[in-house]
Amino acid sequence: MNIRNFSIIAHIDHGKSTLADRLLQATNAVSAREAREQLLDSMDLERERGITIKASAVTVMHRHKPGATSDELETDYEAPVDEAGTHKTKNAADKADSHGDLYMLNFIDTPGHVDFTYEVSRALKACEGALLVVDSTQGVQAQTVVNAYLAINENLTIIPVINKIDLPSAQPDKVAQELEQVLGFPAEECIYVSAKTGQGLPELLATICDKLPAPKPSTMPQARGLIFDAVYDDYRGVIVYIRMFDGSIKVGDKIRMMGLGRTFQITDLGKYTPKPNRVPSLSAGETGYMVAAIRTLADVRVGDTVTLDLHPASEPLEGYQPPRQMVFCDFYPATDEEQRGNSFEELREAIEKLSLNDSAFTFQAVHSEALGFGFRCGFLGLLHMDIVQERLEREGGVQVVQTAPTVSYLVTTRGKGGELVEQEIHNPADLPDAGVIEEIKEPICRVDLILPKDKIGDIMKLCMERRGIYKSQTFVSDSREMLSFHIPLAEIIYDFYDKLKGITSGYGTMDYEIIGYEPDRLVKVDILINGDPVQALALITHKDKSEQRGRQILSKLRGQIPRHQFEIPLQAAIGGKIIARETIKAFRKDVTAKCYGGDVSRKRKLLEKQKEGKKRMKNVGSVNIPQEAFMAVLDTSED
Amino acid sequence: MQDHTELRVIRQRPSGTSRPFLGSSPPLESAAARSLYIHIPFCSHKCHYCDFYSIVDTRDRQSRFTKRLIRELRAIAPNAGGLPLRTLFIGGGTPSLLGLDHWEDLLETLRESFDLQEMRTGVGEFTVECNPDTATPELLGLLRCGYVNRVSMGAQSFHAAHLRTLERHHDPESVPRAIESARAAGIGRQSLDLIYAIPGQTLADLDRDLDSALALGTEHLSAYTLTYEPGTAMTARLSRGEFVRAEEDLEADMFEHVARRLSSAGLIRYEVSNFARPGGECRHNMAYWRQDQWLAAGPSASGHFAGHRWKNVPRLDEYLESDDAGFVAIVEHEPPDARRALGEWLMTGVRLAEGLDLDAGLARADEISPTIRADVCRVIERYASSSHLVRIGARIAPTEDGFLIVDRIARDLLRATDAG
Repeated sequence: MNIRNFSIIAHIDHGKSTLADRLLQATNAVSAREAREQLLDSMDLERERGITIKASAVTVMHRHKPGATSDELETDYEAPVDEAGTHKTKNAADKADSHGDLYMLNFIDTPGHVDFTYEVSRALKACEGALLVVDSTQGVQAQTVVNAYLAINENLTIIPVINKIDLPSAQPDKVAQELEQVLGFPAEECIYVSAKTGQGLPELLATICDKLPAPKPSTMPQARGLIFDAVYDDYRGVIVYIRMFDGSIKVGDKIRMMGLGRTFQITDLGKYTPKPNRVPSLSAGETGYMVAAIRTLADVRVGDTVTLDLHPASEPLEGYQPPRQMVFCDFYPATDEEQRGNSFEELREAIEKLSLNDSAFTFQAVHSEALGFGFRCGFLGLLHMDIVQERLEREGGVQVVQTAPTVSYLVTTRGKGGELVEQEIHNPADLPDAGVIEEIKEPICRVDLILPKDKIGDIMKLCMERRGIYKSQTFVSDSREMLSFHIPLAEIIYDFYDKLKGITSGYGTMDYEIIGYEPDRLVKVDILINGDPVQALALITHKDKSEQRGRQILSKLRGQIPRHQFEIPLQAAIGGKIIARETIKAFRKDVTAKCYGGDVSRKRKLLEKQKEGKKRMKNVGSVNIPQEAFMAVLDTSED
Repeated sequence: MQDHTELRVIRQRPSGTSRPFLGSSPPLESAAARSLYIHIPFCSHKCHYCDFYSIVDTRDRQSRFTKRLIRELRAIAPNAGGLPLRTLFIGGGTPSLLGLDHWEDLLETLRESFDLQEMRTGVGEFTVECNPDTATPELLGLLRCGYVNRVSMGAQSFHAAHLRTLERHHDPESVPRAIESARAAGIGRQSLDLIYAIPGQTLADLDRDLDSALALGTEHLSAYTLTYEPGTAMTARLSRGEFVRAEEDLEADMFEHVARRLSSAGLIRYEVSNFARPGGECRHNMAYWRQDQWLAAGPSASGHFAGHRWKNVPRLDEYLESDDAGFVAIVEHEPPDARRALGEWLMTGVRLAEGLDLDAGLARADEISPTIRADVCRVIERYASSSHLVRIGARIAPTEDGFLIVDRIARDLLRATDAG
């Protein structure tokens, strides 16, 4: 059997999932009637945001005559094979053979965003080839480039695919030139398709069969399979997606996860075609799913190697690292003025449930003087944080208050004996005393931006303001350029993307990858309200920006904290030194104009409500601070 | 937001009691209500700041409404005890939007069912709220024939742009015309409503509005700080960031400026937002604030009688449909309660320049509990020592500084009545 394992990679909204669905249809794995849009994405959220969060793998059968010219390609031949790829009758087999050789195409869907780079790279490791999809109306975008590099690094054979050629504004030739310019793919090798109409699909399938390499044969008799994804299913527990590189596994085998060292018994093996379809075994070169009574995702590590417990391989497949959380924030249950809302227990339940099928975020219970009990959570990146929050609200049914995100810092301190100790902190409140700190390192990203040419100056300025270091500028097309910068993650987690979209009227795209930690002059800024430091408002920032940030936060707080009977000083301080101050004046006016005609009850109830309302503020010292004030620091826009 | 969760009670008869608190036989003379409020719910357009009950474009329902209102007035009339009404106030909505034939029927009913002799002689006060652009000479003439002797005109501002912000659709020029028409019709007392602290309004703009209002020579002016009521279009627009609310300091400056400017013209602040030449106060509103009794008719109208407070159902359809021997459905009924009554008396009294009769108040407090008396005393002492309240003979009244924080004082007084 001819096997081809490949992924589809693309910038967001360039039509990756539509193309996947169209491939399923073109190979008759799914009838048009059955085809839902974006069949591979299973979660509502993925559908709505148009991104794929969890990878899936689908196997289809396809008949192809190697080297057939385009006018010989068959488009409407219905493969008379069952889901396991065998013919029902000898006659059918003979007849089918006349339509070409049988190919097993395994395609592996990848997450569509750089926060999930690790998962993308695992998915790519399971493949020999990749389809790089570019929207013919949008051209090469930042994520196109980042994804292409990931595939190139994995030594994959790449087929450039230019999609949406049915649209009136399509410029496929121009986009092919961009691909050649930026990534070096010969323009004439690009396949033009419309995933929407099916145009170009036969050529694409033929290219997949002809151009992508077959899997390498086993290098050892022992079984080795790469876990490239895992999802949690309420009924079956964890479903593991696996790509076999050596040997084979079968139902009933006792397997061992080489990284974690745990063993499980296989209860089920299969392939999605795209309906789940059981198979007795999976052999080298194949992909499929495995169920083995694994209860939680914490028991599985994407990137781990599966081998047989009885005849284990001596070496795992290369490259397994645990996912690393780079962005942190707190979630607290949101309550309204009347203390109605979700409880801490409800939030805990929702977070624990979500963690069953997203093992990439971490959480631990915290208590804040001002916001009560909540969780400090770690995420792979910004989008991941947004997704988790949305899923908590949508699937968990809880409303959350989110605090300002921070990044993870590596802090070197000098111990009592003079020895240097490095620790990771991701909460400004945990930062040790300034006196013992030798060095603070922060995560640095390589940020790739593709922009209209006339906006380059403005974006350069933005990147410089964000402590960016210019790396390169690449010609993309007559109208667009690609910029590369190294920028601290902390500088892009707030509103960098919004600023980019604003400056470029939505035409600029960016992607980033964390490339390491570097030291800089970082300081902790304390925020004092009426003389009391408020931990939940402390932040770590660059020394040169500390004054500006401090002033910004104080000005936001001034707008959020109601006036009291006394004047309230707001201060930002580094160590004991005040770097910015604001004052909330004592209130002057507390009167409602109307007495509501004869509706005296209403006036009374209104005053009574205000009288109660006062008790529901968060108290810091003698100052009442509304919940929203803690969110206000998220907003770094100038007043 | 109105609370609609309470069950409707027909005929002002609270559930669980057999006796209605408003009856169809006259009460004892001492218990009679001497004031009446009537609510006309129609508007040609819902102004964005307004949260009074009103409905737009229902000419087809005016006839049904008037018939129903007349039945209600006849039903409640005996509670005036056959005594002359002292104050009558028809508000809205936009009462001047009601058709002339309906006005005729309404005024005739009032003459038949109530004793309006004090209105006729001018001792009593009969006010109708008017919109400057619908207060026609014909209507004003008709009102005068029905003993109306006071109009309250919604000017709000004389500045076209600020009127647009409020979504008020009248022409500023129509205000002097309407006041002139009222005078020509023989309606001797007029009041103007103004709104200030409108987004974008400066102190100078406000001054021009005050000058324009004073030039009309009315004996009474109401000047309200723009209030963002929940559920109004104005509040929604504010939260969408369509405009910026006036700064608290500017609002406070305006609040003080209005009083200074008007008092120099002889109009004295006698309530937080109300100014009048001596003797020109709105007696009907004073009845509310002094916790007198009054009857109420029309959807959403609130009444106070025999210690009960209630509100007529605030939805026109239910108002039209509900009928128990002429009485309508009510909501938010509050039975007599000495503690509540004391709180309300303190709350509205402290908003008046005449203030509260301290001895009477403390005696009422003492009757409920000595603790309440002590707490109320303590609050009053505290604000007197900070010069927010001042003792004038036997009364305690807010100072100009006190008016600025009168909600806070009222909250503290209300809290004091919780004690014991």
